[in-house]
Amino acid sequence: MKPRTEKFRICEYAILTAVTATVFLLCTCMGSVSIALSDTVRVIGLQLRGAAIPEALQSTVNILWTVRIPRVICVALSGAALSLCGGAMQGLLKNPLADGSTLGVSSGASLGAVIAIAFGIQIPGFAMGGTMILSVGFAFLSLLLILSAAYKLDASLSTSTVVLIGVIYSMFTSSLINLVITFAGDKVRNITFWTMGSLQGSTYANAAFLAGALVVFGLPVLTRAGELNAFSVGEDNARNVGVNVKSVKMVVLVCVSALIGVCVSIGGTIGFVGLVTPHMTRFLTGPNHRKLLPASMFFGACFLMAADLVARTMLRPLDLPIGVVTSFVGSLTFLAIFYSSRRERAS
Amino acid sequence: MRKGNKIVAAALLLALTVFALWGCGSPGGSQQGERTDGALVVTDMKGREIVLDAPASRVVALTASDCEIIYALGAGDCLVGRGEYCNYPEEALQVTEVSSGTETNLEQILALQPEVVVMNAMDQSEEQVEALEKAGIQVVINAASTIEETYRSMEIIGALVGREEEASAMIDSMKQAFAEVAEHREDGEERTVYFEVSPLEWGLWAAGDNTFMNEVAEMMGLTNIFKDVDGWAAVSEEQVLQRNPDYIVTVAMYFGEGVTPVEEIMSRPGWEELTAVKNGKLLNLQNDELSRPGPRLAEGAKLLYEMVYGEE
Repeated sequence: MKPRTEKFRICEYAILTAVTATVFLLCTCMGSVSIALSDTVRVIGLQLRGAAIPEALQSTVNILWTVRIPRVICVALSGAALSLCGGAMQGLLKNPLADGSTLGVSSGASLGAVIAIAFGIQIPGFAMGGTMILSVGFAFLSLLLILSAAYKLDASLSTSTVVLIGVIYSMFTSSLINLVITFAGDKVRNITFWTMGSLQGSTYANAAFLAGALVVFGLPVLTRAGELNAFSVGEDNARNVGVNVKSVKMVVLVCVSALIGVCVSIGGTIGFVGLVTPHMTRFLTGPNHRKLLPASMFFGACFLMAADLVARTMLRPLDLPIGVVTSFVGSLTFLAIFYSSRRERAS
Repeated sequence: MRKGNKIVAAALLLALTVFALWGCGSPGGSQQGERTDGALVVTDMKGREIVLDAPASRVVALTASDCEIIYALGAGDCLVGRGEYCNYPEEALQVTEVSSGTETNLEQILALQPEVVVMNAMDQSEEQVEALEKAGIQVVINAASTIEETYRSMEIIGALVGREEEASAMIDSMKQAFAEVAEHREDGEERTVYFEVSPLEWGLWAAGDNTFMNEVAEMMGLTNIFKDVDGWAAVSEEQVLQRNPDYIVTVAMYFGEGVTPVEEIMSRPGWEELTAVKNGKLLNLQNDELSRPGPRLAEGAKLLYEMVYGEE
């Protein structure tokens, strides 16, 4: 048997990309409105070449090119970003249950977004600026708050302490969200739907922003995969092998909260993706973060695209909140993984 | 064949009894507020009988539509408490606010010492209703889901506050208004309408079948593009583009800043090709005209009618 290499080789990346591209195409061809495969291909071809659109295809172009494709791209990028965050936090905190939703970071980010929407905090010239900045800020503050509270109680940041504090914090923020909604009245009546996660109305601008955030905040995390490997043995171990513990921690935490904040401000809170995909990926790649993190991004994109496909098509012409699907599938998958890994360890 | 005759006779007797009982059971909508032995008897939507000595002078209305009906009947003075969502007419905002729906708070209601509480049947529990009745407060359940039922709820409230004549005048004027908008219905051309309840930003919600919007649309010969959906539901944006409505009605609120709900819809990518957007046939109903079983349904219907047939 060949020894496992530290990183993915190019051909392995090619396979991952091909899988993701296939899922992407599948999700583009299927949707609430059925469009013939030949029309789909024709429209994409015409658009890519910048050719004129025949009158008969105009409504297909609108549905496919203006509505469906940007949504699928946003879904894929959100899935990738959230899974990267989950994988990185699980390594950094040496905690298999760490994730934006279990730690309360996502709910902190939604609190920021709800405040921005309810009080009309806007940045001139940048449509979603207020929402985005507040949710990123709140995500970061929440993470700091939760982790420092957990440190005070238990310096080893054990699973149960962190998750307990995360759960309590989530409840706290959701009560604050309800309070804000009560005060702001009619203006945010509809926010309740949005907090379940909605990527309807995604635009290419949203997609570009997500992609930018993924490059700016994702790369620093990916390049610290080696340090995360040291962390997942233990923080002391990381210090002993010469990792600058404080700086790595800070970089990862800032990047993770920025990514979660951006995702929440665009698509609402989408639970369970960041928690489940790194675990599923670990079965294939093993625990090495050099492989785990990039692979998690690909699988996270695929998982969320598939979940969104179910949300879009299951109850045609209705559109389910994507959070319903991810939480449903995610919690079942998670239980299955949890039990099978326990059984393996026991035997 | 004596035995057979007996059976036939028994069956006949049974049928007669059932028929008679059935006849008794059907609540007569027109007999509201009839006085027997000086008492005022009102039968509510659940067929419960409410007996009052005289028209009520202290009423709490939990539902926005009931609150509107009371004001429209000119009986606003007898309202001592209103549910939190009762925001029309403006005078109603001066009345003490109480929690409603699943958060109905009995203490708040008891403190106002009403004679009658008018509520919807959906959210309050049987126990809450019983507790109010034990405290000597009459509970009237009013839950209209069609325009016909709305008329009945107007009769009930009219009888409760001693304004039967005003109530029947209100019903007549609504019927008149609906008859006017119904005139255009047969011209052979199919016209489709899309009712947007929640904007794209928060995830689209549309009004489907079994809504007042749908009922009013059908009345004037419009086809709701989401007739295959029941009630209010989250629908797919792709479906709206595919079904290409001729008219769009949004109930989104406008707060006097930024783009209006109509402008927002017109600026959505991909929506510019919709017939409604091309022809500028969009209507913003800001004040729940077509969402509540109240007297303003007729106003909402007129506004919709004007958009559809106004310039022809």
